[in-house]
Amino acid sequence: MAAFRFISQCLNTKTESISGLHYTVFRRLLNYSTVEYAEQNDPRPSFFNKDIQNILRTLTRVDLQRVFRTRKLGQGKVHDPEYRFMTNEELQMAMREAELKADNLLQIPPVVPVRTPISKILSQDPELQGLESSKMIFTDITFGVKDSDRLIVVREPDGTLREAEWEVRNRINQIYFPQEGRAIKTPQMFQGTEFEDVLKRQEYEFILDRACIQFEPNDPEYQRVTSITYQHINDNNGFEKLRSTRHFGALAFFLVWHKNIDNLLLELIETCYADEANTLIELYSKIHKVNFEKTSELSMIEDYIKKFSNKKGALELALQAYKELLDEKRKVEQGVKTAHGLS
Amino acid sequence: MLPPASGTGTFVRTSEKVIRLLRQGCTNRPFFHIVRRKNQYRPVIEQVGTFDPLPNEHNEKLTSLNYERIRHWIGNGAHVSKPVEQLLGLAGFFPIHPTSYMNAWRNRKAIKENQEKSINVDDKTEDKQ
Repeated sequence: MAAFRFISQCLNTKTESISGLHYTVFRRLLNYSTVEYAEQNDPRPSFFNKDIQNILRTLTRVDLQRVFRTRKLGQGKVHDPEYRFMTNEELQMAMREAELKADNLLQIPPVVPVRTPISKILSQDPELQGLESSKMIFTDITFGVKDSDRLIVVREPDGTLREAEWEVRNRINQIYFPQEGRAIKTPQMFQGTEFEDVLKRQEYEFILDRACIQFEPNDPEYQRVTSITYQHINDNNGFEKLRSTRHFGALAFFLVWHKNIDNLLLELIETCYADEANTLIELYSKIHKVNFEKTSELSMIEDYIKKFSNKKGALELALQAYKELLDEKRKVEQGVKTAHGLS
Repeated sequence: MLPPASGTGTFVRTSEKVIRLLRQGCTNRPFFHIVRRKNQYRPVIEQVGTFDPLPNEHNEKLTSLNYERIRHWIGNGAHVSKPVEQLLGLAGFFPIHPTSYMNAWRNRKAIKENQEKSINVDDKTEDKQ
């Protein structure tokens, strides 16, 4: 143990060589594992439910200032804002338009189960062995066919004609029908130490935005990247980074689906958003088909903590503190009223 | 200059047309367009696909075919050249071309002969030692 502590101290102080000591450095890799949405437990009926979509939207806590903030997207020059005189009606119209625009920008990326592998063999012709030493890929480039419906077949060197797997399909589709922002090879930032590095810098929105462009939502790679990012956000309390972005709904759904909402609930209580905490518990009850008491304002939260929480201590303390804060506020208000001679 | 996908060739109903490979690319880097034209010396009427004979880093040769247009032109009486027939055969669009079977058989035979030769050479060198 002492030797271990010594070595770790040395590693912390970044001394490269320790005289007379030979050791191997094991770099601690990301200890999150992929959590996929499985076909057997389909999230689609829950996710695309209108009520649940509305709840997810409420939890996103839309701030138009943040939605329309200037962003560096590499699309040329940033323009100066335009100021206009407007009547009240015109202003309301403009606000409504902005909200519609925000609705488009905040569309939550779909939550779908991971796709099943393709293994359809069309014909087997062993007589063709020896004709080619490499695979032949044939793509139908007929106009107006969707990427997902396109016919892509592979002739193997052993003469088998089969449909191409997903990974090949993605590559070929990107070669013949390129989508802007998508790379043919998976970018380095989604792999290994680079991925860890971006996570460590807490650039969650960047990761999730790019994952949305790079992968299809039923791609196992997409689910790996997003699930690890969500877990990292949950552990490091980075919820605020995703508020007012399209990814918060997906994050909340992920946490509720996998029954891991304690950190989010704690954050909501600590920042005095009791109504949002209630909405979150409502979402939980809708997805997992459980009922909570609805006698008073905070009863649902208390009931959840009692029945399902893994962090009872912290949550109860936070709730207690919140209640005390409310009491204090009430007292102050009462005091002010009496001072003004209102009661 | 690359001909546009819908090419510059004029369509004459009575003249004979063929779907064939057109070598694009450059020296030592062949790349083919699969095009429909009257003959080798006439401009392209329409491009219906591409064929890259050099395997990529995943050891794949990529071919793209616009089946809808190929069907249309064949229906209008266009001929298909032998290399394109072979490609379409491998793609499962046509029956496999006899030449493909023949080439496969020849290749297999050549590989077998080479192996036998190398074994014989090995035996001889061992005898000498």
